[in-house]
Amino acid sequence: MRSRLENHGASVALLVLVLVSGIALGSCELQDHNKPSATELAEPGAVIDQELMASLAQAKNFHHKAKVYMSDGNIPAAIASVRQILSLRFPTGAPEADDVRQDARALLAKLLVSQGEVDEAMKTVDEGLASAARESFFVANLYTVQGEIHEARAAQLDADKAKAADERRAAIASYDRSIQINEALQKRLMEAR
Amino acid sequence: MASEDDILSAPVPDPDAEPTAAERAHARAFAELLDKTMAGGALPPAMSADDRALLEMATVIRSSTGGLELSPSKLHSIVEQGLRQATDLGATPITGARRKRLLPWVVASASTLVAVAALLLLWLRTPTRPARTDVASVPTSWKSRSADALIGRIPRSAAGDASARIDHIFADRLEGFRDRRMSATGKRGGKP
Repeated sequence: MRSRLENHGASVALLVLVLVSGIALGSCELQDHNKPSATELAEPGAVIDQELMASLAQAKNFHHKAKVYMSDGNIPAAIASVRQILSLRFPTGAPEADDVRQDARALLAKLLVSQGEVDEAMKTVDEGLASAARESFFVANLYTVQGEIHEARAAQLDADKAKAADERRAAIASYDRSIQINEALQKRLMEAR
Repeated sequence: MASEDDILSAPVPDPDAEPTAAERAHARAFAELLDKTMAGGALPPAMSADDRALLEMATVIRSSTGGLELSPSKLHSIVEQGLRQATDLGATPITGARRKRLLPWVVASASTLVAVAALLLLWLRTPTRPARTDVASVPTSWKSRSADALIGRIPRSAAGDASARIDHIFADRLEGFRDRRMSATGKRGGKP
């Protein structure tokens, strides 16, 4: 009995030692400030780094791939390639990420419309507009594409005059929103110069 | 001739010699005593030291062969007695064993104390983080920023021309990235 207790005590002592050593080592690790924390958020306006360049290069490659598929008339493959841009990881807070994704959505929506997938195209645009962090020329472009989708819907609803008219009105509203954003941004840019 | 009380200390008799009547009587008495003890009977209040030693030896031998289950108190007393005798003969004293037993605890406690002290030191010390890149002091072309100024208004005819735009954005940012990397003052902004 006593021997078992002694063995148990020695095991507990060893465990405590290992745990304490682990904690101490972990603390030393925290002191290593040269290593960037995995959870540290990149501040907006941070300098261009390798991570951003890698993400942009990836987006560029997927666009080129899609372009080749489009020239071959393989639109489904082009759609798949553009979709991959949406799942690319960019440095947190990088303004380029928003721009690249919105532009990819605009192209994706146009490709989907060309395949007759109008509702899917509208969903793609709506998701993009809902996730927009700020107004930009890319968001304005997305409104333009939204107007085009409304127009496509109106064309499909020729038999139902009332609904087609609604879609045309929605298209005009989208174009107006696009124009409004473009004008405001241009004005801001001119003032900045 | 050995008396009843000094049978163990008396000289060893000739193995071929016939046992004496006294020896036979002593052997018979001891056998009865042994049987009685093994059967769980109480020891007689008075008995010679030799008989007691022989009886205990017989008990230990029987117990070690599995013939007898000793009570914990009996076992404990036999072990204690053995240890005491061993200590008297110069074996490791019980206090030494105890010290040995306590050694892991002492080491663990000391390590814990050191670790706690280190943790407290870390917690109390204000971490001196290296200065972040002073983004305000670097050229705009080195910064991550919106592509609005670069791309400008997107005409409706070019709404789906995202491929050309990403080329333009990539080329521009690559220029800034390289400029920062190659520049001697780029060290101020940190290595990319």
